[in-house]
Amino acid sequence: MNVLPDQLPFWIAGPLLGLLVVGLFVVANQPLGASGAYLQTMKAAKRDADTVSWRVWYFGGIFVGGAVATILGPGIEIRRGYDAMSNAGWSPIFIALVVLAGAIVMGYGARMAGGCTSGHGICGTAQRSPASWATTATFMATAVVVTGILTLLTGGDL
Amino acid sequence: MGNRMNLVGGLFGAGFGFVLAAGRLHEYDTIHETLKFESLYVFGLMGLAIGISLPLLWILERREIETVYGGRLALSRSRIERHHIVGGALFGTGWSVAGTCPAPALAMLSSGATYGAIAVVGLFIGLWLRDRQVASSATTSSIGDGEHRDLRTTPLGS
Repeated sequence: MNVLPDQLPFWIAGPLLGLLVVGLFVVANQPLGASGAYLQTMKAAKRDADTVSWRVWYFGGIFVGGAVATILGPGIEIRRGYDAMSNAGWSPIFIALVVLAGAIVMGYGARMAGGCTSGHGICGTAQRSPASWATTATFMATAVVVTGILTLLTGGDL
Repeated sequence: MGNRMNLVGGLFGAGFGFVLAAGRLHEYDTIHETLKFESLYVFGLMGLAIGISLPLLWILERREIETVYGGRLALSRSRIERHHIVGGALFGTGWSVAGTCPAPALAMLSSGATYGAIAVVGLFIGLWLRDRQVASSATTSSIGDGEHRDLRTTPLGS
């Protein structure tokens, strides 16, 4: 519908995200993270009685909220994604394997570190947790280095 | 109480997903342009999110406010341990390779990019692989949100 700009400026999106972090603490005394929501959704799928049900709703909410913003912006377009990899000449199956492998390593690391970009990177740092600052500095630095290596290996295609 | 908390979870998830998609954080290019320092969008967004929430939470913590559903506001801070660094490095590697992280992967899928589903499935696999080890060793109760808080012990459990 193009009600939203192509990309909300970071100086609007950033503070909005910060207010959501504060808001969830003020309402529920809970941190805004994403990997925990994955774990609770996994528990719900296994019909575990320990499931924290609101985290499952929260997981679904992220999906719905993303769709709403897309509808108000460029509109939902069914596509594969990862255009940069397609443009580098990679086959769809190879791209799928790379994305799958990356996501498995990411999930494993998130569980090991106790959080991800939202849980440690924004919410944990905002709580002034030393562990979150250390985790965030580590994953940021690692991601920059790995991206540099990917760029070198692909001759600048990625 | 349970139902109301589910609604809170759904709404905060939706707000979170909305901001992520409106900022195009679910796009591989947005993440990689920042990791290659071609744009500082993600750093700026995270910096402002922390810049808003850190001081606000600090003030609210000092005022010892009562949250709406969760009792006295309790932030958590933990010591840096080896698993934060190793997990952070693994997470950063996967973040770079898959070009997305746990919450944006959901928004990627709901924006119509079908390969977002591969990232989501990979994240579930990775989280599950590590969660099995954590559960069998029982060395930590951290649930993977960056907050190091065992959600099962909170009154909001279900």
